[in-house]
Amino acid sequence: MSLAIFFIIILFLAAIQTAIPFLTKRTIVFGVTIPEIYINDEQIVFYKKKYAIFVFLISVIALGAYSIWAITSKPTEELIVLAGTVIQFSIIFISMSLYFYFHGKVKQLKKSPKFTKNLKQVQITDITMRSQDSMLPSYVYFLPIIITIGMIGYTISQYSILPEQIPTHWGPNGQADAFTAKTPFSVITLPLVLLIMQIMFLGMHLGTKKSGIKLSATHTTASRSRQLTLRKNTSWLMFLTSLLITILFSFLQFSTIHPNLISDFVMFLVPIVFLIVILVGTIIFALKVGRSDKQLPADIEGDITDYDEDSYWKGGLFYFNKNDPSIFVEKRFGVGLTLNLANPLGYLILILPIIIILLISFL
Amino acid sequence: MIIRVEAESDIPIYTQLINQIIECIARGDMHSGDSLPSVRTLAADLSVNMHTVNKSYHELEKKGIIRIAPKSGAVISSPKTFDPSSFQRLSTEFRPLVAEAIVLGMEKEEIHELVELIISNIKERK
Repeated sequence: MSLAIFFIIILFLAAIQTAIPFLTKRTIVFGVTIPEIYINDEQIVFYKKKYAIFVFLISVIALGAYSIWAITSKPTEELIVLAGTVIQFSIIFISMSLYFYFHGKVKQLKKSPKFTKNLKQVQITDITMRSQDSMLPSYVYFLPIIITIGMIGYTISQYSILPEQIPTHWGPNGQADAFTAKTPFSVITLPLVLLIMQIMFLGMHLGTKKSGIKLSATHTTASRSRQLTLRKNTSWLMFLTSLLITILFSFLQFSTIHPNLISDFVMFLVPIVFLIVILVGTIIFALKVGRSDKQLPADIEGDITDYDEDSYWKGGLFYFNKNDPSIFVEKRFGVGLTLNLANPLGYLILILPIIIILLISFL
Repeated sequence: MIIRVEAESDIPIYTQLINQIIECIARGDMHSGDSLPSVRTLAADLSVNMHTVNKSYHELEKKGIIRIAPKSGAVISSPKTFDPSSFQRLSTEFRPLVAEAIVLGMEKEEIHELVELIISNIKERK
């Protein structure tokens, strides 16, 4: 079982890591801004291919060796989990090292005389674009929150029938394997953690909505399509995740209150279905966003290029721009959003909930 | 309704913003009663400082082109509010340019033609 779960996760991770250079914004190559006219430059296409082939080969070898080892030498479950985790981190580590290697290469390439043609840097926006923004309305994020508040109320009302030992951890088979003593606080810990996660998702949604829709001067149509697709699908993916976590946590909470109501098979199935839906949802998200700006034509006029924001991107990965009031901006390497580290609101949305959850879990 | 600014230009960004918004209205892309994006939104979309956008909006308000209401934000005013003081301000702003044109040898007709050309350029989204 663990082998199957890790195989799927590693396969998914490897596929995404391999495809990243082809799914990112088209004028950003390994975290470096490249003027539109050079995006099909031989050397740049070669770097992207080289990265993808290398990550792909490493992943295939790792996955093959992992499966053969797990099937032939029959190690314990713990060993399979441990090796699977090590492989995941190795793939991330190797692809990040390759990223930095090519980040340096592209940066060097950009300094070469061929690329330093004098282009005027411009920033553009469309002031009527907000009416085309089709992110989910904020109120839908309150629906799972209401469910959770109801669940807390129900748990308190059923306090007397709750067992003396409250589960705090569940194994891969969906059965509880760690417990704590029953107190009015410990019985609602799980829904409380859920509530904070849901509020975090709401915060991320509002933060994204308030953040800028960045258009490119050299491919206005394509960048508009990508930004709007990204915003819409991010809000759907976040809502889906919030909803799925709510369903998963509700099953766990109800199986604690009414141990005989939900069969072992369902408890085993729920986390797996959860995992698969999240993975499939993420793949659909990455493909939809990744393809949204590839088919559309560039609209270059005159000697202009996009404003070079490379100095705000530390290592091409971390965005730090005090002038930009955006909380989230599109990632440079990968598909999705990342924090503007210069905006304190971002820390509030992401770090505060994690601190509260940690406090609740260790209290 | 594309707004375009150049960070490395000699003209400050807030002035570029003012000029771009005024051109949008002059061209007829935006009309009186339409609202402009909030300061925060426009600043985030352009990746510029909120103070820059705020300064542009206040300048536009001073010129009588927009109204800033506490709830509804920045709304484009109706051109009927054009008053003698605006006329006065424009003629002082035109004056040095017209004088410069004369000194550089432009004829009265040429200056008229230039103004005509600029008007048609604005209307034709140039």
